[in-house]
Amino acid sequence: MTVQKSQLANVIASDNRADIASKTVKTTCCYCGVGCGVEATVEDNRVTAVKGDELHPANLGRLCVKGSSLHETQSNPNRLLQPMLHGEATDWETALNYSADKFKAIVEQYGPESVAFYLSGQLLTEDYYVANKLMKGFVGTANIDTNSRLCMASAVVAHKRAFGGDVVPGNYEDLENTDLVLLVGSNTAYAHPIIYQRIVKAKAARPNMKVVVIDPRRTATCDIADYHLAIRPGSDAFLFNGLLGYLADNNALDSEFIANHSEGFDEALSVAKAQVASVEQAAVMCDVAKNDLTAVYDLFAKTTKAVTVFSQGVNQSSSGVDKGNTIINCHLATGKIGKLGAAPFSITGQPNAMGGREVGGLANQLAAHMSFDNQPDIDRVASFWRAPNMAQGEGLKAVDMFQAVHDGKIKAIWIMATNPVVTMPDANFIREALEKCELVLVSDCIANTDTGKLADVVFPATTWSEKNGTVTNSERRISLQKGFLPAPGQAKHDWQIISEFAQKIGFEQAFNYTHPVEIFREHAALSGVDNGVDVGTNTRPVRGFDISGMQHISKQAYENLQPIQWPVNSHKPNGTARLFEDANFFTASGRAKFVPISARFPQMPPKDNQVIMNTGRIRDQWHTMTRTGSAAKLLGHIDEPFIDIHPADAKRFGLAHKDIAVLENRGARYLGRVNVSDSQRVSEVFVPMHWNDNFASSSRADALVNAITDPLCGQPEFKHSPVEINPYNAQWSGFIASELPVTPNADYWVKIPVDKGYKYRIADTVTPSNWSEWLTEQFPLVSDWVELTDSSQAFYRKVGFIEGRLAVVLNIARGNEQPIENRWLEQQLGEQCDLNQRFAVLAGVAGEGVEDEGPIVCSCFQIGAKAIQTAIEGGCCSAEALGEKLKCGSNCGSCIPEINGMIRAFSPQHAAKQA
Amino acid sequence: MNNANQQKAHLVIVGNGMATGRLLDELIKRDANAYNITVIGDEPEGSYNRIMLSPVLAGETELATIINKPAAWYAQNNIRFVAGVRANAINRQAQTVALADGSCIAYDELVIATGSRPALIPATNQHLQNIFSFRTIEDVNSIASCAQAGRKAVVVGGGLLGLEAAYGLAQKGVQVTLVHRSKGLLNRQLDSGAGEFLQQVMASKNIQFALGTEVAAFNSDALGGSGFASETLKSATLTNGETIECDLAVISTGITPNKELGQEAGLACGRAIIVDDYMTSSDNCISALGECCEHKGETFGLVEPIWHQCISLAEKLCFKRNVAFVNPVVATKLKVSGVQLFSAGEHLTGDDCREIKMVDVKNKIYRKIVLRNNRIVGVVLFGDTRSGADYFELMQQAVDVSSVAALLVMGKAFYAEQLQAAQNLNQCANQADFSQADSLNTASVTVSKNANNDIAA
Repeated sequence: MTVQKSQLANVIASDNRADIASKTVKTTCCYCGVGCGVEATVEDNRVTAVKGDELHPANLGRLCVKGSSLHETQSNPNRLLQPMLHGEATDWETALNYSADKFKAIVEQYGPESVAFYLSGQLLTEDYYVANKLMKGFVGTANIDTNSRLCMASAVVAHKRAFGGDVVPGNYEDLENTDLVLLVGSNTAYAHPIIYQRIVKAKAARPNMKVVVIDPRRTATCDIADYHLAIRPGSDAFLFNGLLGYLADNNALDSEFIANHSEGFDEALSVAKAQVASVEQAAVMCDVAKNDLTAVYDLFAKTTKAVTVFSQGVNQSSSGVDKGNTIINCHLATGKIGKLGAAPFSITGQPNAMGGREVGGLANQLAAHMSFDNQPDIDRVASFWRAPNMAQGEGLKAVDMFQAVHDGKIKAIWIMATNPVVTMPDANFIREALEKCELVLVSDCIANTDTGKLADVVFPATTWSEKNGTVTNSERRISLQKGFLPAPGQAKHDWQIISEFAQKIGFEQAFNYTHPVEIFREHAALSGVDNGVDVGTNTRPVRGFDISGMQHISKQAYENLQPIQWPVNSHKPNGTARLFEDANFFTASGRAKFVPISARFPQMPPKDNQVIMNTGRIRDQWHTMTRTGSAAKLLGHIDEPFIDIHPADAKRFGLAHKDIAVLENRGARYLGRVNVSDSQRVSEVFVPMHWNDNFASSSRADALVNAITDPLCGQPEFKHSPVEINPYNAQWSGFIASELPVTPNADYWVKIPVDKGYKYRIADTVTPSNWSEWLTEQFPLVSDWVELTDSSQAFYRKVGFIEGRLAVVLNIARGNEQPIENRWLEQQLGEQCDLNQRFAVLAGVAGEGVEDEGPIVCSCFQIGAKAIQTAIEGGCCSAEALGEKLKCGSNCGSCIPEINGMIRAFSPQHAAKQA
Repeated sequence: MNNANQQKAHLVIVGNGMATGRLLDELIKRDANAYNITVIGDEPEGSYNRIMLSPVLAGETELATIINKPAAWYAQNNIRFVAGVRANAINRQAQTVALADGSCIAYDELVIATGSRPALIPATNQHLQNIFSFRTIEDVNSIASCAQAGRKAVVVGGGLLGLEAAYGLAQKGVQVTLVHRSKGLLNRQLDSGAGEFLQQVMASKNIQFALGTEVAAFNSDALGGSGFASETLKSATLTNGETIECDLAVISTGITPNKELGQEAGLACGRAIIVDDYMTSSDNCISALGECCEHKGETFGLVEPIWHQCISLAEKLCFKRNVAFVNPVVATKLKVSGVQLFSAGEHLTGDDCREIKMVDVKNKIYRKIVLRNNRIVGVVLFGDTRSGADYFELMQQAVDVSSVAALLVMGKAFYAEQLQAAQNLNQCANQADFSQADSLNTASVTVSKNANNDIAA
């Protein structure tokens, strides 16, 4: 499929946002790296509905549950609407003057290395470009890094080493046209649901297509796997070194490709074989059955068309670059690259991690795929920008950057669109660093993020549906995130904020942008400078990233940009679906490079009393929940931080299913609910990365992650943290349901937004002496209470009303046993309650006739586990049949793995088979 | 009367209160012709529903409607009704009863159902005019005639009857002060929590309270005067020193069993006439019934156990069948409009008990259930008495309610299903399989299998 097929549904070239009331607008989703096209229905300046854009090549009409809920996160109660200076609302002039004066003074006194920017894959390319230009060209430092450092910095370096440029060769269609998909360290079903759905569909259409999942965990992605290799954490490179040897030993090499289009094969093979001599040895290193491993090796060897998808499980490692290269080595050795259905495929986490890479948003990049280790590149960029203070070398990468903040070497930092106090390894150290820092600027659309709380100045930024600019997805496809709603309050676009700041510190000329298209054109032009394409007869590009074909794009064409894959230049005006089809690489020799890899295990092995903590995403949340956490629907599936643990470990550490447990490392604590599951390996636990201090008292997983990084790319080892695990000796457990948010005075609390307010699951190791007083102190406005007491103190309940409307419910039970909750009760918040209902809310159940739906499995249609179980027991024995009956799984489909699991558990036929 | 009647044994019943009324019904139901029956009553009316005197006083019910058995009924049922005459003595040798009018009635079987009389209080000057008991239709008529709006009354006694009398007077516009020895109203039925709500509700019905004190003296015009019967009540002095102005006083501090008739005839007596499980006194031909009898150390003031006594006695008299009387746990109800109250079993929580309590201050709802060994042994409901009967049943059946402890007090609608499930589960506990369904790597979605449906086990 070519990239220009989609039609112009709505031509919107006007800046007058009010013009477009009650229309359908095409834009791009702001969550993961799949980059799905979205059709948003806008009425009265509000997004009232969203659906997948059927013409967008990334998703072809599908949306996952997060994307499907975009309109439900629009009215966020925590939206930041005005600049804040030292916690007080102020105006832009004051906020910017204060920031600029202070920043300028610090640079003047301590030099440019004393300041830093920390950006985000959530920023649009134009925002990113301006920030990068300001720091590297005008302030004069490369101390500008991004949370993409935590995401795919490993892949960047692996690509550069192998291909001579940070290039993803393939595309999503390759996933559908391949015969073998290897998913390595990638829970695609949850993290990239639409890519997963495309694979599911392809496999359903061609059942011979094989799927292999390589992951220490048995994740939802394994639902469609022919093989699941539950490898020892961090052993990926051993596995692929073993594969390289196996390919060589079994005549599976593409000798022609190796000879004509690559270099370094022999050394790579000999290093691999020296370390992993046989399948047996690989099986031991990876702790998997030899037969399974052989079968997978054999599949790879015998299948011409194979795609290896890798993401955070590979990248977030102290040897992530090497792991990436062992994967690429195997693809090069078999010529599985640059062909339909054959590619190593790094999938990025964020909506615009790729755009950030393109503008050089990382401390070790320059711009437009140029680098600091090449003086002509530095000079070229300096000259293009007319930069007065061009940085001459790499800056500090994320972990080192915050270390420098902590050390006092960096005295001013500007954090945009990210929440490092939650997401960085050793996150409590980051908090300390920011507390000490002289000037902390934060740009965000949300007030009071964990990071924003530490800022001197917070700038209110626009967000999805308001901001206008481009993003690049995992298959190099540039799409427009369209701004179609007016900025609320005093919010401004990030590129505007940066530009106005730049002007205030003395760079008026270079930052006088009035529209993002001006930035985009400049960025496109820079990508074409000295890039080989148009120089004489030599049409071989020097750098992979080239969108010079769009450097003269009109404002109207930009406002209606059709998704397009780079390179886009005079030779490829319609973009490029696949790279390296001509086997020409961006290295000096034009050949791909094999990188010899000595595989390494994670740096810090666990001690006897420790388990390995792995971190990752859950299906319905995005990052630190600042947006998705505001949609009750998205908390119906999983609403509380948890700890997945193997039954043997649960027994060993005295943990019961659904109890709370404590993980500890470096003085930081993670509290989560125990989920006993044999999907975990023994001695390994999995925790979600999303929760933070706005949603839980003590569940920032990354605070426990050691600040160990890959020496080549600086990416931290998020997937392998030895931690101690112990039962949480709760003396009581319970919940509060409340119309208004509170901060419960309990050691353990988790905030769960519900339709009409909030629910807090709470627990503590110390019992308050007087429950009634405890609650009354939390809710001073409530005077009408109904109380249920038990002299044996097995339970306590208290329900408060304001003018007859239910305002708050407290339900406490002794010990670890969580009182039963149900959605009916939450829905009564704010409702007028007669005498019967006062009884019912105290009981916590509607009484006769109303059954609870159980936990929500299908977030899109809000179908609960009980209804699904009943339907299965009544004879619905496929996901399709259930979809027809209940609609569950028929929208985004990301609950289908779970539904299949329920079918296995509850279907009468299945049970009969088992017996 | 015909010849057949002459040959039948003669059953004589002394007393014509509610117990007798009910006993007659039970006898007729079984065998209307088993006996020649004579009923001797010292009140002129037929058997009436004494419980309804309070609504009559309050003007909520007509007197006529509470008379269950008018004089004509006795005639219709071939029962000789000797009205308005006291029985003075029993001659057990001769098997006769001597009446106040000098007549003498022979019996084959005698039932003493003389009821009780108001308990005495130690106050002085109780002879003054306008001091009444609250026990009979005559009492009600007297009180009513003197209870005009704007007058002031003292009601002595914070039990059921005292509260009802106070309420009845207040309904007539009388300014009532209720004097009660204990600090809590209905302290035999309610704990302090419910008692306080009751007091608040009664206060809202224009009743004032002097609690934790007693009447030391009633006073006439001439304080400490000569004590002539013609003197009119003007005030009451309390043991706490306070003096309350009043135009009338109602004393309702409980009852004293009328055991004298039996005692003087030499029947074994304690606080009342002692009977066995079949209501037989120490004389085989004499039974005792109702408030004048004592069974296993207990005397009776509420109707429900007396209904059971009537059955036991009727079975014995008609069929010579031994159906033992078992003293049931009895629930209390207070007949004050707008006040819902239910109390059964142990209303105070003992040290060996667990207490589950719900309090809704705004609606003045108080519900307490007392458990011992996971069984209900006491219930106090105030303000909302729904499910009272259900608790009562659970209490009588000694059902283990531990599985629904947190839902119990909200009522049957909330606990019934779960209690049933727990009972079922108990029955098949040994076969059940509680294996956890694999939750597919999700934290909160755990779906446990239905134990009954698990055929894979």
